[in-house]
Amino acid sequence: MESRWRSWLREPLVHFLLVGALLFLVLGRSGTGHPEGYSIRVDDDQIARIAANWERTWQRPPTAEELDRLIDGFVREEIYFREALRLGLDEDDIVIRRRLRSKMEFLARASVESEAPDDSVLQQWLDDHPEIYAVDAVMTFDQIYLGEDGEEADIRAALENGTDPQELSATTRLPFSMAGASRSAVERQFGEAFAGAIDAELIGEWQGPVQSGFGAHLVRLRAYDAGQTPTLADVRQRVENDWRDATAAQREEEAFALLRSAYSVEIEGRD
Amino acid sequence: MMKSRFHKGGGMLALSAMLLSACQSGERAPTPEELAMSPDGGTTACPSQVLWGDTHLHTSNSVDAVFNGVRLTAEDALRFARGDEVRSTTGLDAQLSRPLDFLVVSDHAEVIGIGRRIADGDPALISDPTVRRWHEMMNESYAQSTRAARELIVGYAQDTLPEILADPEIARETITSTWAEHVETVERYNDPGTFTSFIGYEYTSMPTGNNLHRVVMYRDGLDVFGETLPFPANQSQDPEDLWAYLAAYEERTGGRAMAIPHNANLSNGLMFAMEDFEGNALTRDYAERRQRWEPIVEVTQFKGDGEAHPSLSPDDEFADFGNTGWDTANLDASIPKEPGMFEGEYARAALQRGLLLESLLGVNPFQFGMIGATDSHTALATGDEDNYFGKFVSDEPNATRAAHSIGASIRGRLGWQYLAGGYAGVWAGANSRAAIFDAMARREVYATTGPRMTVRLFAGWDLEDADLSADPCTLYDRAVPMGGNLSGTGDAPRLLVTAMMDPEGANLDRVQIVKGWLDSDGELQEQVYDIAWGDADTRSVDDDGRVAPVGNTVDLEAATYENSIGDPELSAVWTDPDFDPAERAFYYVRVIEIPTPRWPVYDRLRFGAEIAEGTELVSQERAYSSPVWYSPEA
Repeated sequence: MESRWRSWLREPLVHFLLVGALLFLVLGRSGTGHPEGYSIRVDDDQIARIAANWERTWQRPPTAEELDRLIDGFVREEIYFREALRLGLDEDDIVIRRRLRSKMEFLARASVESEAPDDSVLQQWLDDHPEIYAVDAVMTFDQIYLGEDGEEADIRAALENGTDPQELSATTRLPFSMAGASRSAVERQFGEAFAGAIDAELIGEWQGPVQSGFGAHLVRLRAYDAGQTPTLADVRQRVENDWRDATAAQREEEAFALLRSAYSVEIEGRD
Repeated sequence: MMKSRFHKGGGMLALSAMLLSACQSGERAPTPEELAMSPDGGTTACPSQVLWGDTHLHTSNSVDAVFNGVRLTAEDALRFARGDEVRSTTGLDAQLSRPLDFLVVSDHAEVIGIGRRIADGDPALISDPTVRRWHEMMNESYAQSTRAARELIVGYAQDTLPEILADPEIARETITSTWAEHVETVERYNDPGTFTSFIGYEYTSMPTGNNLHRVVMYRDGLDVFGETLPFPANQSQDPEDLWAYLAAYEERTGGRAMAIPHNANLSNGLMFAMEDFEGNALTRDYAERRQRWEPIVEVTQFKGDGEAHPSLSPDDEFADFGNTGWDTANLDASIPKEPGMFEGEYARAALQRGLLLESLLGVNPFQFGMIGATDSHTALATGDEDNYFGKFVSDEPNATRAAHSIGASIRGRLGWQYLAGGYAGVWAGANSRAAIFDAMARREVYATTGPRMTVRLFAGWDLEDADLSADPCTLYDRAVPMGGNLSGTGDAPRLLVTAMMDPEGANLDRVQIVKGWLDSDGELQEQVYDIAWGDADTRSVDDDGRVAPVGNTVDLEAATYENSIGDPELSAVWTDPDFDPAERAFYYVRVIEIPTPRWPVYDRLRFGAEIAEGTELVSQERAYSSPVWYSPEA
């Protein structure tokens, strides 16, 4: 039942109707009649909204006298509003145009803010974006620091003669070994280029020179586990954050695309 | 959902009363976060890794940020800091070269969220003609919006704001709803082990435009923090009242909080004054509370660097970093500097004053560690010269920002004088609120002006050269790390210092020890020692022990530099040659990079930006460790 409702929500026609209804709410101001008409009806719902708005600010209901004044003010505003529209005052006012645009964008996004996506929606999102959530590769390696210039021939010869590799490394505070280190930890220590240059297929032999911000290194990879995709339970909050953010942006784009599709736009000098 | 957690009926007074009458809470069990795994999969007590973050960032919930045009939210800020690409307010795609590990979104507490309501045209607010005019300016253009921001900041500094902005009912409703939404967002993005987001805000005290601002940050999650509201400076400009508020918070909830002063350089001598806010002499009680609530200070950020000033340290050739334009007047440039103010503004002088005060009061009120931050008002925590997104939206990347007065900068401060920002390096055992906050509380942190160099400092009596290659975790048993205290009677302590370049950045020129002490005549002294330097085979040391300049490889046309000078890492075990066991002293490390291009150089390459005469184009970026303090054994 719920999933059918959700698939409905993805239908362009439903979007169109929703956007139409929202447009009507913004421009039509239900309860007062067509903005360009000459009849104004302030119904009970509208009066309740006026009173509630007062109460939100002042933390008490308006008195009868205050309410009368508020209603008078509302009618006055409504008349001015319609006359201003009639005069086209909204069209050359950049402030009003910007505000209306941002209201439209907000309306398109707002539904996502309160929506509680269920696991199947989030699992789908995770399946569609595995790269975002992939757990870092984990590696164990030794490195011989060759210094800034990176002369490797003598070092390689010494390695073949069985010299302890740790003694061959130039003096450095860089660790000779990193065990069970995530790729991001390796990047943090040696830089992104270094982590990216390690050949994950070469296990057990000295590879390189591999360049880092510090200079050149010979690297011996001892173990390498490629990153796995985590389960939804591991990353649920992240997935929900990302889904919400992306879905709001997508709804806004879709709502606009729908509106845009009803317009024919011609820009002089461009095809 | 969150809103129901807040008392609808109570105002600030009711809340304060509630805090004051709260009873002591008992011990609580560690939260899962406190037991969180480190990023590499193991829990560890040793602070084995340096984590990078920004404790000072503004979004559209800050009234000055939104007036200056920003429309990005805390959520955008958190996504950006953890490494995502985010569309900036002016429509540029923005991303950090590397993610940060933590972020404190620290919007101004003073009627937090009200600027967005003015931008949105809240009827209750735009009934005031001035606010209405600002609303229209905010929606007209960035230039107009910036003008409105300037009026607002001057109005706040000079206490001439429209009265409606102080209306208690409007303020209460705005604050509670904005804050509830904010805390909920921060909570959703806290991801222990990967990325930590802290609940925090900025307390914006600035009597007559003198900057006494503090960032307030909490160690706690929503389960402990609950319905707590921020403490705004319009309740009290006296930081001691903020401390009382934080004390009440801790007592009521069992949580933890701290305040982080910043931009002492714009306080006209007030931040580290020798007297309290009311003008009374400092007391031991004051010193104890200050040390308790303010264990660290933000010493470098967009609005200048506050480590040292050439007029206070004439023998220090590196003391002039990031001072230009910021050493002429207070925050809103309403009161010019006068002789005697710098001593209460710059960190080194404040640390010296702390020694003097300790000798008088028995407790050092200015025993603080040092961090860097951005103070960005674009919601984008950028700290790199080649990725500077500006202090305000009006100076997001464009061709004119370097040469002109920007954002709400006032009277004579030019775009290029803004620094590209700093970050905090934190030695922590895990990426979690608890681990990072606790490292800050014990001052095991350091400041950088942007680059992520790795800096360690240990001090003790039996450290040897061989310890340079030891696992640092083994040193804690016989030495104190940065931020620690030593006391003794005889030999000089030995300082073990290691510094490694940012692996994505520039080589290091030199490593220095900055010593401050109170001599036997009661005079405060300072000395800078070069203890390790790059290209050591070719660089000479003069008779005063100063190492020759490292050179300069910057190509101003191409906006590049070469790591052909300097060294990738420098280290030393050093003993103070002038040590006197009877004199109180502090020692901190300053690491200096080789020269690199400043952000206007990248602007000229990318946008053909106009560069005004006098613009500083090259700088030597740096890191400042928290000090280690020595005192004679009682």
